[in-house]
Amino acid sequence: MRGVAAFGFASPWLLLALAGLPLLWWLLRVTPPAPRRQSFPAIRLLLGLPTKEETSARTPLWLLALRLLAAGLLIIGLAGPLREAGSALPGQGTVLLVIDNGWAAAADWSARIAAAQGILDRAARAGRDVALLATAPSADGSPPRLSPALPVAEARARLAALAPLPWPPDRDASARALAGVDGAGIVYLADGLASPGDPAFAGALKTAGHVLELRAPVPPRLLLPPRATAAALIARLAQIPGGATPPAAILAETGDGRTLARVALQFSPGAAIAERAIPLPPELRNQLARLVLAGPASAGGVVLLDERWRRRPVGLAAADATAADAPLIGDLYYLRRALAPFAEIREGDLARLLATKLAVLILADRPLGEGAEAEGVARFLAQGGVLVRFAGPRLAAHPDDFLPVPLLLGDRTLGGAMSWDKPAHLAPFPPGSPFAGLPTPAEVSIARQVLAEPSARLASETWASLSDGTPLVTSAARGPGRIVLFHVTANDDWSNLPLSGLFVDMLRRIVQLSAGVAATPDATPLAPAETLDGFGVLGPPPPAARALPANALATTPVGPAAPPGLYGPENAREARNLADGLPPLAASAAIAGAQQASLAAIGRTRDFGPLLLGMALALLALDLIVSLGLRGLLRPRLAGFTLLLALPLAAHAEWPASPNPALETRLAYVVTGDGAVDQVSRAGLAGLSDYVNQRTAAALATPAAVKPGEDDLSFYPLLYWPILADAPSPSPAEVNALNDYMSHGGIILIDTRDAAAGADFNPGGAAALRRLGQELAIPPLAPLTVDHVLARTFFLLRDFPGRYDGASVWVQRDQDRSNDSVSPVIIGANDWAAAWATDEDGHHPYAVIPGGDRQRLLAYRFGVNLVMYALTGNYKGDQVHVPAILERLGQ
Amino acid sequence: MSAAAATGRAEALAARLPPLLLAAERVAATVAQGVHGRRRVGQGDSFWQFRPFSEGDPRSRIDWRQSAKSHRVYVRETEWEAAQTCFLWRDASASMRWHSARNLSDKRARAELLLLALAALLLKAGERVRLLDAGPLAGAAALAGLAEALDRAPASGSANPALPDDAPLPRFARIVMFGDFLAPLDEIRAMITRLAAIPVAGFLVQTLDPAERALPYDGRMRFLGLEGEPAALIPRVEAVREAYQHRLAAQIAGIADLARAARFGFFSHTTDQPPETALLALYTALA
Repeated sequence: MRGVAAFGFASPWLLLALAGLPLLWWLLRVTPPAPRRQSFPAIRLLLGLPTKEETSARTPLWLLALRLLAAGLLIIGLAGPLREAGSALPGQGTVLLVIDNGWAAAADWSARIAAAQGILDRAARAGRDVALLATAPSADGSPPRLSPALPVAEARARLAALAPLPWPPDRDASARALAGVDGAGIVYLADGLASPGDPAFAGALKTAGHVLELRAPVPPRLLLPPRATAAALIARLAQIPGGATPPAAILAETGDGRTLARVALQFSPGAAIAERAIPLPPELRNQLARLVLAGPASAGGVVLLDERWRRRPVGLAAADATAADAPLIGDLYYLRRALAPFAEIREGDLARLLATKLAVLILADRPLGEGAEAEGVARFLAQGGVLVRFAGPRLAAHPDDFLPVPLLLGDRTLGGAMSWDKPAHLAPFPPGSPFAGLPTPAEVSIARQVLAEPSARLASETWASLSDGTPLVTSAARGPGRIVLFHVTANDDWSNLPLSGLFVDMLRRIVQLSAGVAATPDATPLAPAETLDGFGVLGPPPPAARALPANALATTPVGPAAPPGLYGPENAREARNLADGLPPLAASAAIAGAQQASLAAIGRTRDFGPLLLGMALALLALDLIVSLGLRGLLRPRLAGFTLLLALPLAAHAEWPASPNPALETRLAYVVTGDGAVDQVSRAGLAGLSDYVNQRTAAALATPAAVKPGEDDLSFYPLLYWPILADAPSPSPAEVNALNDYMSHGGIILIDTRDAAAGADFNPGGAAALRRLGQELAIPPLAPLTVDHVLARTFFLLRDFPGRYDGASVWVQRDQDRSNDSVSPVIIGANDWAAAWATDEDGHHPYAVIPGGDRQRLLAYRFGVNLVMYALTGNYKGDQVHVPAILERLGQ
Repeated sequence: MSAAAATGRAEALAARLPPLLLAAERVAATVAQGVHGRRRVGQGDSFWQFRPFSEGDPRSRIDWRQSAKSHRVYVRETEWEAAQTCFLWRDASASMRWHSARNLSDKRARAELLLLALAALLLKAGERVRLLDAGPLAGAAALAGLAEALDRAPASGSANPALPDDAPLPRFARIVMFGDFLAPLDEIRAMITRLAAIPVAGFLVQTLDPAERALPYDGRMRFLGLEGEPAALIPRVEAVREAYQHRLAAQIAGIADLARAARFGFFSHTTDQPPETALLALYTALA
């Protein structure tokens, strides 16, 4: 039935006026046209001339046809011709509009409402009343109810008040609501998802009357709670297997709405679930509050994250709480600083720490007492916790059971006053160790340590050892938990390990190793705090929402009484997601005997009336001009003026869309073909241009997107080129264009964006650059130093960070006098565009890593220097020689 | 058209013809000195006769060379030479300010151009020219004065501006009249009769627009007069064209008859013809 179009009229009785057209024809034929007027000096000779024939002049036939056509168009236009797309209304009598308004309808809700409005339009023209039935239970918990038959205007108001709800429809109850209806024309806007009540519902519809079932072309998708692993969060998306598989994207958002990561998902054919890891460093991962399916908002496209996915709380305890806080020498002083960036630290006495949920418990030289303390720690380990202990005089004196290896009594001193030994250094980490791959700085030296009792298992339990083979960090699994022992103190008494950066990395690896805090579900009732609405927006809970026992949170079916959202007290929110209480997605069977149509086919009615009226008016205007011309009243100048009045309307659309790029200075970026990357490039260069315009005398216009080989590059001082890992090799035309650009004074900033590739951010950029760069005439390169002109063209810079920090920036090694010693290419990996990017509100959509306003400021300063370098060349290069000049003057 | 421009065009037009000396059988009795010998003793440059000195003649008039040939004393007498004055008139009524097409000059502009060109030719020959309602003019500056007078002088106060009014004319004067002469024949006859009775030698130049000859219109038209005549609604102009052309031919033939009877000159001229032909016709007719 698709594509069938029906024509109708809003006021058909107006068409009766068409019968008057022959009368108009006759009148126009009989009435002679108005005479032309002409001044004439010899009029005296004309007066009283005998006229031989009395047949008066007639209106020309073509003018008559024009006028009749205008009149006909006017009448038909006023009658309001309409074109109705899609199927006609089924049945007779009251139209029963049944709408699935569960979560699955939210994604294309506007299309559904438009289709419903189209149905109402038709019902209004057919003069039929409308009854509404929304199949999802309402927010106050009442089951679906059938409205009485309403006039269309009233039904329209009710339809406008309808909203999708964050739970599935209740088709059993809907079937009960339909009981007793007979002989209606039913239009059913189905969401296409199977539910237990389907057979009863289909039966109820069939008995109630003729059914027209409308389905959305794209089936709904449901975002499942992610799986958490030590390295990454794995996002999961479910769909009805076997349908179309358009690609999807998932955004990882923080509580304040910033997007930290975006991953693309592609279903393999026939798959019900697609998975993709979200690579985020732990410090960013801890900020995540939700995953959102990119696209239309829907409760099914939002997953709330709570402590299970996020927090890695670390408990710190020392033997002497007062001494542990002493600056520079306290037991916890260095631990606190090393952990703060990526972990949530909780401190207190051991009993209180054990009462809270912890991922890692760190004890700095604190022996464990018998009884309650030992039991508590054993319980912590049994729940999968990681216990990290640091040695010290107390532990050496009183070793307890919670150690990975048995210890020899006392400690070993290296390089002390009474020893011949030198302080020992670290050996490289063994391959099986979680520290494997970390560099071992030579300056770390161990002066004193506790010694493990030699045993056969000792080597396999050693994570780090000294250069002479003595274990420094040992670890052993204890049930689901794990005990890790540093054989040195957590301060610098026994070693300078806590002073080195290695200490931070080691702790980070250990914390990553730990599982998240597993909830210990019990029957504690958790009250709903904030719940999702049908579009996935958090808000106050609906009236019917009740508190749920913590252990039933994941299993209770979703409904008005148990909507998805955040439950529990403020400091320990538990997320309840829509997918928790839903069966796997399956397509519902079509209603037997019902007429099927696509949702998109029921468009709103198209009204041709205004178009026809406009044409009629245009014809009448033409008739006016022609009549004036026939009467001799039309002067060429007047006609020209009229034409001039009409011209601006036509000419308005013909203004040049893109200005001449030579008129203003602007930055440019190379179009990569990846929409997301190009968007970042554009936003980044726009942000940088704004910054440069504010801070310097340079005036940069909106950045341009260029394709080398197609666009003329010679207008742009600086070209930003982000390298994709899977970028195709450039064509000869592109290579020629880029080489030509570089050899004629252009600067290309090549950004591989993989400075954080270790954390899985855009890996492969460097390899891609090696592949792409073979064709380009890239000169020999050297790292960018503070002596280079680029580091002092505007700001004096020592670092050149972008979104990431630390990667070397490379510039031309040799000074090329022919090009004013300006490096034609600058290569880096810091993803500068993401750091420069601003959105419409002036906010920065991409967090800098490791972070801080200072890093973003430095990124902008590097950008300013870059623009100045591109605009002024080696102008500031003279300052490089100032020391040499001063030296010469001194002589 | 400003007076200076009009003068320039007229002089350019007149430069192609030699000076025009009016062929005058009888010169009007004016005191102005001119080129027409009166066969009488009087003021003039050319020799007429010697006569013996008589009592009362001033001694300065004695022709000593002639007196030395004999014993008598002779006085030299010259012929009386008088100038002919040519009166000029053009129709200044509103109906003359009309042209049917953008590239045609209007009738009055054409009439004034011919008038000025004729005046230039006459002035070059030493004749005197004069607008019918303005003072006599002669000499080099006369043409500019004439053009200014044309600009300045509307036909004021006359009952019928389409025809010359009753200005007093000297006998045997010449008058050249430019106009469309579409007035009723009776009025034209009265005018010619009056002039011929003075007596005066006249010449009529009729200036018409080609549209007035051809009536090149079609269909239903409302014709409006330029001088307050009632409007004429013609349902089909093509149907009356022939009748109109007959009427116009009758009008022209009537004027020609009247002129011939009064021994006046007459010719008709349309504005789509070059002005040179009209000027040449005038020249040959007046010389």
